[in-house]
Amino acid sequence: MRAKRLLLGMLAGNSAGGLACLLAFGLGWLAGGHVWVVIYPSLFAIPFTIGVVAAWVWRPLELRIGQVLLHCLSCTLLGLGAAYLVFREGVVCLLMAAPILYLGAIAGALTGRVWFRKASDRLNLCLAPLFLFAVAAEPSLRGTHTGVVTDEIRIAAPPSKVWPHVLAFPEIRDAPKYWLFRIGLPYPLETTNGGDFVGADRACRFSGGAVFKERVAELVPRKLLTFDIVEMPPNPELMGHFDAQRGQFELRDNGDGTTTLIGRTWYSLHVRPAAYYDWWTHDIFSAVHLRVMKHIQRLAESGG
Amino acid sequence: MLRFVVRHFRWLARIPLATQIFDALLLTWTAVFHPKTLRAIEVLETAALRMPGVSPARHRFGGLGFVREGREFAHVHGNGLLDVKLTRDRAAEIVAAGLAEPHHVFGPSAWISFQLRTLDDCESALALLNP
Repeated sequence: MRAKRLLLGMLAGNSAGGLACLLAFGLGWLAGGHVWVVIYPSLFAIPFTIGVVAAWVWRPLELRIGQVLLHCLSCTLLGLGAAYLVFREGVVCLLMAAPILYLGAIAGALTGRVWFRKASDRLNLCLAPLFLFAVAAEPSLRGTHTGVVTDEIRIAAPPSKVWPHVLAFPEIRDAPKYWLFRIGLPYPLETTNGGDFVGADRACRFSGGAVFKERVAELVPRKLLTFDIVEMPPNPELMGHFDAQRGQFELRDNGDGTTTLIGRTWYSLHVRPAAYYDWWTHDIFSAVHLRVMKHIQRLAESGG
Repeated sequence: MLRFVVRHFRWLARIPLATQIFDALLLTWTAVFHPKTLRAIEVLETAALRMPGVSPARHRFGGLGFVREGREFAHVHGNGLLDVKLTRDRAAEIVAAGLAEPHHVFGPSAWISFQLRTLDDCESALALLNP
């Protein structure tokens, strides 16, 4: 009986979260927003809702705080499993979302645990639909967050030796070192180039068959290559969470036979909280930049 | 961590749900790294809620609050830090006797702070709730 109620609470909580997601989807669609924003309408409020609803079902069990923490963990895992199956979310994305989902669910469950113990429960329950609506409506009101990630390395070769490898480079055969690449996040393998002129097509091939299609937007030989990312691959780890819009390689001649290679990526982020996902986005783009730039460094320094 | 955040990031409390999320983080940290403290929090909560006229509440800066006659008179944070409101004189007496410390934010005031670490601390903590 106890186990059934615990499971029921987890299912009810996650169903409420799913309902809020669907509502957000509908409102986002009506508002003309990005459809996939539904995945994480509000990464604080959705799990909080899940926790509150679970606490409502769990209230006869009079769970201790430690038990709430434990069962919220199961509840979170259930939610992540459902997101994997229903929304076809990528494992890496779910891994990133897990800490906030878990903490949000705990916060909601502990709040609900107090609310539903008190005599004034009715007022709080009356507010629940309003809260659910606020959770669902929030994504349609927010704007897109944009940013740029910049990395640089020093290469012991002049710009003339570095430049050809910036335009295109053969396959990177090294196994990835960055931990998210190791567990399934696509990582860059090679870049092909359709020509050295503005408007030329480029393609950056990632692991798992993912291909970013690019078009040269700005080209100053041995100094600057800017390209627009015109098509992103339909990979579940990438879809809908962010858009990589533009990339750039800048070469600075240090005057001593070395070159400073600067890599930049401009992106827009669709998931919230932006500060949290910005941190991940910078970490991931830096890993992408450095994998490519170190490969260019090896090629240029070996005279390849 | 609580003291640092409360002193330097107090403004975060204005963001909806931020204090609850932060307290959830503290509790998770406590559960993983200081399970005895978590057990002490649980025992204190159970005992406090058995006291006549005491009901639970969510403390506005995160944590479990205890309310009597409509007013919060104590709360325990996720790291086991118990804050109790007394009279100014009684608080000074208790601090002078070494039974608790001045409040971790307000300093000398009607509030005192007591760190729960193990079950052995529960008796002293409950005594503070029944001055």
